Amino acid sequence: MKKRKAKNTAVSYLWSAPSLLLIALMVVFPILYTGYVSLTNMNVYHWFDFTIVGIDNYIRALFVFDSGFLTALLATLLWTVVNMAVQLVIAFVLASLLNNQKLRLRKLYKTLLMFPWAMPGYVSILLWKTGMFNTQFGLFNQWMEKAGFTAARWLSNDVSAFLCCTLVNLWLALPFMIMIMDGAMQSIDRSYFESALLDGANWLERTRFITIPAIRPIIAPAVIITIFTTFKQFDVVYLLTQQAGAKTGSGFHTILTYTYENAFVTNNYGYSSAISIIIFIMLIVFSAKYQLREEGDE
Amino acid sequence: MMGKKQKERLGLFFLNIFFITLCFLTLIPILYALSVSFSGQNGLLSSDFSFIPHDFTLDNYKEVFLGESIMTWFGNTVILAVTTVALSLTVAVPAAYCFSRRRFPGRKAILKCLVLLNAFPAILSMFAIYRLLRPLGLVNHRVGLILVYTGTMAVFSLWNTKGYFDTIPKEIEEAAHIDGASDLQVVIRIVMPLAKPSIIVTGLMVLIYVWNEYIYATTFLTGEGNYTLAAGLYALQATEMSGSWPVFSAASVTVSLPVLIIFFLCQKHMTSGLTTGGVKG
Repeated sequence: MKKRKAKNTAVSYLWSAPSLLLIALMVVFPILYTGYVSLTNMNVYHWFDFTIVGIDNYIRALFVFDSGFLTALLATLLWTVVNMAVQLVIAFVLASLLNNQKLRLRKLYKTLLMFPWAMPGYVSILLWKTGMFNTQFGLFNQWMEKAGFTAARWLSNDVSAFLCCTLVNLWLALPFMIMIMDGAMQSIDRSYFESALLDGANWLERTRFITIPAIRPIIAPAVIITIFTTFKQFDVVYLLTQQAGAKTGSGFHTILTYTYENAFVTNNYGYSSAISIIIFIMLIVFSAKYQLREEGDE
Repeated sequence: MMGKKQKERLGLFFLNIFFITLCFLTLIPILYALSVSFSGQNGLLSSDFSFIPHDFTLDNYKEVFLGESIMTWFGNTVILAVTTVALSLTVAVPAAYCFSRRRFPGRKAILKCLVLLNAFPAILSMFAIYRLLRPLGLVNHRVGLILVYTGTMAVFSLWNTKGYFDTIPKEIEEAAHIDGASDLQVVIRIVMPLAKPSIIVTGLMVLIYVWNEYIYATTFLTGEGNYTLAAGLYALQATEMSGSWPVFSAASVTVSLPVLIIFFLCQKHMTSGLTTGGVKG
């Protein structure tokens, strides 16, 4: 019996080996190596002759305010909160409106609204950058000029870059959230609403006491995943404003674009590795708290 | 009574108007690009812009399909994508099956680790991977990028296929075992055909990832001849934008089309229920 069990284990690991080995090699090992580099002063001048500097890089990131990491972290938190709040409210309203049974064309509307999600993300962002925000021929400035205003440089200062990035991020992320909420709302038993109507509950009361409590557990995993992707957003901010060699002058960074900049633009590898590890630890804590319980079941 | 019905009709009318406007507003960036891609160069800066192309032309698409570089990028992308998908699935499917069906020491711990590892953004390990692959001569080499992509998607592929295997009822396999089928026969004859749609979906996700990935591609590949479509498009927009904007939008439309088709096909596939007709009686 024991022998059989041992054989069973061996067979399982044998079949899983290629996948686990690949993960170990391309995911785990680079993270460990990043941890090692974070303790050194490796940069473009010390490519081979770097020395161990201990936790200097971590101190610089966490306790030297000028280093920019804390600013980027705060900006990223603000970015996450703003994006999630707006996204949840808009998605909720649109999904409720779409759930009107008498709206005959709602399948068509849903399909059309899915397009931003279906498009390749980087293509959409670049189309926004050149098609909408471009100073010379972007649509926004064409409209501005037609309306008699002077053309604006949308992406060149912090606040307007933040707002433009938020707009694009919402455009990209809303379809998924609408679909999740729509699906959750459709799963609510109609009879709840009917009895609530009989009791004379108005729309606000029905929403507060039936819709929201009913969809909350269903949408929770999707919302947590979206919080993660928003917090880890790179493409929108990088492609719109921080492209290497084509910066628009905005100082708005998420922690990921900030890390990228330190690794590949200013070539401060030790420091950027330290930030990577800090970010990873934050994500692990968050992920352990909200994701492990559901996913590691059985 | 009549009044109430009319009120409802009016409400529905406004709701329709609202959604038509919303759909139009949402699609503006895409429609604009579509229109520019069919316009001649000189229509671009004219002030009276409309969503119908000014002087309709297919020149931009001609440049996309006949231009050498974009077709080379397309070739590179196909090679990379096909290899990555094949490798990802070969590696992920057996592992996913083991993790779904078998119970062995370390299983739970590994699954938990995978969830946590998935939290690590791939872009943060780019420097480490670059430094590790360079001495091996794998930077600026397809094999390097294939390893990176397969590695990045490995956790996802394993997790995703495992999730689908979990939804296939064990009873089917047990019945086959009772009928005298061996483990391997059960997997090949029964589990695989049932899991085929989900394996295809996982493969398509990996394909779309490779198709859309630009940051690793531009960092690890030098020389535009080696670029993938995503890297090439990125490079195209980074250089002299105003001149190539119509060509860029034509290329964008072309690159997006396959992804759009896959997305809308997949959506149907995923809702069709994975085990419909699996357990009967």
